[in-house]
Amino acid sequence: MSTLETPPPDAAALAALILRVSQKRDRTAYAALFKHFAPRVKAYLRRVGLDGAEAEEVTQEVMLSLWRKADSFDPAIAGAATWIFAITRNARIDLARRRRGLPTTPEPEEEGHSPSAEALTLAYEREALVRAALDTLSTEQQQIVRLSFFSETPHVAIADALGLPLGTVKSRIRLGLAKLRAALEDKT
Amino acid sequence: MIRHHPAPETLLAHIAGTLEPGHALIVTVHIEACVNCRAEAARLEATGGVLLDELDSEPLSTGAFAAVLARLDEPAPPKPVRPRQADLRLPPGLRLPAALRGTAIGRWLWMGAGLRYSRVTLPWAPKENVMLLRVEGGRRVLRHSHGGAELTQVLWGGFHDITGAYGPGDLQEADETIEHQPLADPEGCLCLAALEGGLRLPWISRLMGK
Ligand SMILES: [Zn+2]
Repeated sequence: MSTLETPPPDAAALAALILRVSQKRDRTAYAALFKHFAPRVKAYLRRVGLDGAEAEEVTQEVMLSLWRKADSFDPAIAGAATWIFAITRNARIDLARRRRGLPTTPEPEEEGHSPSAEALTLAYEREALVRAALDTLSTEQQQIVRLSFFSETPHVAIADALGLPLGTVKSRIRLGLAKLRAALEDKT
Repeated sequence: MIRHHPAPETLLAHIAGTLEPGHALIVTVHIEACVNCRAEAARLEATGGVLLDELDSEPLSTGAFAAVLARLDEPAPPKPVRPRQADLRLPPGLRLPAALRGTAIGRWLWMGAGLRYSRVTLPWAPKENVMLLRVEGGRRVLRHSHGGAELTQVLWGGFHDITGAYGPGDLQEADETIEHQPLADPEGCLCLAALEGGLRLPWISRLMGK
């Protein structure tokens, strides 16, 4: 017997699910978001150095935050994956603080930035553009961008992975970012 | 017109979450003021989102979903109490950046003629060396390097040194290799600065006349 996997929801569908959670406290939508994001959040946390138990604990915190903070999700500002990424990054930083008995970082209070021209690109479209822009980078540049996000000590990790002297890492990061920016600047 | 921005790799580290908390605060204040860096930060954050979304799934423990469901109706944790902030008698019309709201701010302390500082304490990272600096017009500060990177964001007024002129919204990123002696503009200067590497004396400085 074969099981038919439903295809993963696309970016627009994920954003719509978060809006259902924020507007209707919809637990079915929440379950779909959990199914999509929790395993990816856990994978990210493992990549940045948390052990299995810590990654599990923080993933549950992140998914709880998704429920609690859903009303701060604005699809004009960030795509669903982008929003989850930011929550996950902050939760990981906060774990280290809690371990040291320190309070967590306060939530930013939105100042109501006037939407700038760049916000006119719908945020989930921006994710698609970023995906396409990443594909235009060389393998080495893609690795540099990944390691920058997925390592606690990115410069050392990049130097090790690419066999580069530490002193040249900064300029390599700049080259990769400049290429990424050039591929995105007119569009986002 | 903002002319000086954080280096690309600094902004990237901020978005990736690997910047030290003091530096992260300065960059947050800069992003609040700078439309260009706000756009770049949004692009980098979207990059983080895409990279997270592309990762191979790591399965959760069997009871994970049920455990989270059981907690959905728990009350959210209380907001942290806002720490004390001294009345700094800021220049008229100036508001402190929103990013400073959760911090404790001490009163002005004398550092030398025409130079005062106020310690900014981050409750979530109390050892970080962050301060507000107020320099009177035409004063020059001799900065003595500590070997770490130093981020300075201009909130009001301005200064210039061999690396250029800095006005409101500008961020100076200096490392130990830069010997600089910032000279405050005629109206003076109010900056927010963070030194790398935890608690040390703030800018060991002395003042020269004009
Ligand atoms: Zn900027």
